[in-house]
Amino acid sequence: MDRRFPSISIVIPAHNEEQAISHVIKETKAAGYDTIIVIDDGSTDQTEAAAKRSGATVFRHLINRGKGAAIKTGIDAAKRLGADIIVTIDGDGQHDPTDIAPMIKAISQDGYDVVLGNRLQDRSGMPAYKIIHNLIGNFIVWLLYGLWVNDSQSGFRAYSKKAAHAIDTHTDRYEYDSEVIREIHHNHLRFIELPIKVRYTAYSLGKRQKMNLKNGCKTLIRMLIFE
Amino acid sequence: MTAYQIILAAIAGIFLTSNIAKFLDRRHGHTLFKFIASSTIWGGIMTFSIMPTAGHSLSQALGLGENLNTLIFIGFIIVFAIIFRLLSTIEQLERSLSEFVRRDALRQINRD
Repeated sequence: MDRRFPSISIVIPAHNEEQAISHVIKETKAAGYDTIIVIDDGSTDQTEAAAKRSGATVFRHLINRGKGAAIKTGIDAAKRLGADIIVTIDGDGQHDPTDIAPMIKAISQDGYDVVLGNRLQDRSGMPAYKIIHNLIGNFIVWLLYGLWVNDSQSGFRAYSKKAAHAIDTHTDRYEYDSEVIREIHHNHLRFIELPIKVRYTAYSLGKRQKMNLKNGCKTLIRMLIFE
Repeated sequence: MTAYQIILAAIAGIFLTSNIAKFLDRRHGHTLFKFIASSTIWGGIMTFSIMPTAGHSLSQALGLGENLNTLIFIGFIIVFAIIFRLLSTIEQLERSLSEFVRRDALRQINRD
């Protein structure tokens, strides 16, 4: 990797994010990142068109396959397009693209393979149920995979080229985030957790497919039985 | 032997024979797991319908005491095994479907 000018790709999984995706892309571009890959995960609204209008490279899943599958497609696309560093952020606008810079620095200058965004360092504004959910998630991930991290469910992450090639996941939905932790542990990848800002809005909290108790139970069952 | 026992044994016999025939024909999709599971279920029904007292020794061995409890216990195990098998198959299909969808999405790179 050319440490001065690494090629950076931002991967954004999106399912029915027509309202938010343009703003997320524009904000990411304003933060200085031009290679933006949006995976339209079988949206039934105009997410794909909105993302294209905003200047992103869009890959479309014909049907909804889940956040994990979408990120995997995005990372595969970024690898094929020659990315040295791949950053994943959510498509609902909850992440602040100005947090990408420290992640890039951690990989390109400090030599880390993976950077995990940590939402729990500054919990202001985070709903109590989300804090509890995340703590339970962290405990289960530690129990199953033997690696303690402070925010095992964060979708805001950065990967070096080495990590992107080493991480081999099989799950399609929210258990993907936990599976990545397992892969970090198994592949002895160097990782660091950096604090990130999260902007919880009525829009981001109101989406139906987001992680809730029911989805959390399903995720746990899949992790226990199929992984 | 009562009429109910004869009818039940006959039905179980038909399904058991059909199951064995399908497996011997190597019919598509009739795996060893399906053969064993199906044979166990229908064989068990046939055995207990012809010889209701056959379950006594099994009940004693399992410490369940009653024949009916033993049957319910075994039934639960079989149902759980089948459900687990079904869930595994569905999960495998889901993953295959995702792989197909992902490859289709990435075809754009190959075209460009």
